[in-house]
Amino acid sequence: MIVNDEASAIERCKSGDREAFALIVQKYMKPAYYVALGYVGVPEDAMDISQDAFVNAFRHIRRFDSSKNFFPWFYSILKNLCMNHLNRVRRRRERSIDAMEEEEGQIPIPVETVSPEKYVVRRDLEKKIGQALRCLRPRDREIIILQHFQDFSYQEIANLLGVPIGTVMSRLYGARQALRRELEKMGVRY
Amino acid sequence: MSCDTFKPLLMGYLDEELTELEAQRVERHLQKCGDCTNELQEFRKLKEVTHDMRVITPEDKHWDQYWASVYNRLERKVGWILVSIGSIILLAYAIYTLGETFIFGRNIPILIRVGVIALVGGFCTLLISVLRERLFISKSDKYERIKR
Repeated sequence: MIVNDEASAIERCKSGDREAFALIVQKYMKPAYYVALGYVGVPEDAMDISQDAFVNAFRHIRRFDSSKNFFPWFYSILKNLCMNHLNRVRRRRERSIDAMEEEEGQIPIPVETVSPEKYVVRRDLEKKIGQALRCLRPRDREIIILQHFQDFSYQEIANLLGVPIGTVMSRLYGARQALRRELEKMGVRY
Repeated sequence: MSCDTFKPLLMGYLDEELTELEAQRVERHLQKCGDCTNELQEFRKLKEVTHDMRVITPEDKHWDQYWASVYNRLERKVGWILVSIGSIILLAYAIYTLGETFIFGRNIPILIRVGVIALVGGFCTLLISVLRERLFISKSDKYERIKR
């Protein structure tokens, strides 16, 4: 969908046209999911939160200036839901007697190798990388997943997050440093 | 320019996202700076180790059903709003009828009248308290304005 089509779809959404909103959802559902996954780290939660974010966006679509890009505005809604979710999870852990065991048993972010012949050898490395991703700050995890693992270009990320390309590079530098430190702590040598 | 300025550019260089002019500037700096060269090498190794890894993507059926799920959530929101409005109307009517029957009705023992007044008064107090708390939380929610 080119920009003008998107602007006209959003104008139709403002009149309550759900079919027009379906086009917006289908365009941005994958980036929304990956951003949410970067923040919350659990695929099922990322799916739920990203869908809830679209629901909230539709409810408030009249506030959106359709001359601007949709995703940066949507991103603030999505991030708000992700942070609320993380806050609830943290409060639940603080109240939980078994918080320490829960912490240790945290599921790593699922990572896979797309070259099947390397699958067996790299399974352990994949798990460690998934665990290292889990240990990163949400901001670092978000950009690492978008660029490092899902191959979004710098321009795409800059458009999605509504930041300059220079900021994408700075954040990616910090995030990759953090990932390297986590892997070194786990004794991963490469 | 200092190394701190070049370090983020190393990312663009590594990912081949720089313009030709920017890439040449980075290369000139790398020829003179061992630290940045070593750091680039470390990042290159990280990239090589993970280059064919992806975060596991949900199966196609999840994407096929994604819009349907959003649509259902939209409908459910409308449903809950209608249920809430209906409940408030019925509850208000029930309280009014209860009050009319047991407080102002004839031959109702005084103890029952007092009990009903306490029940209705207590419920209203709780409702106001909860609403006030929710209002306070929404005003002071630190995520209300998000900084990117």
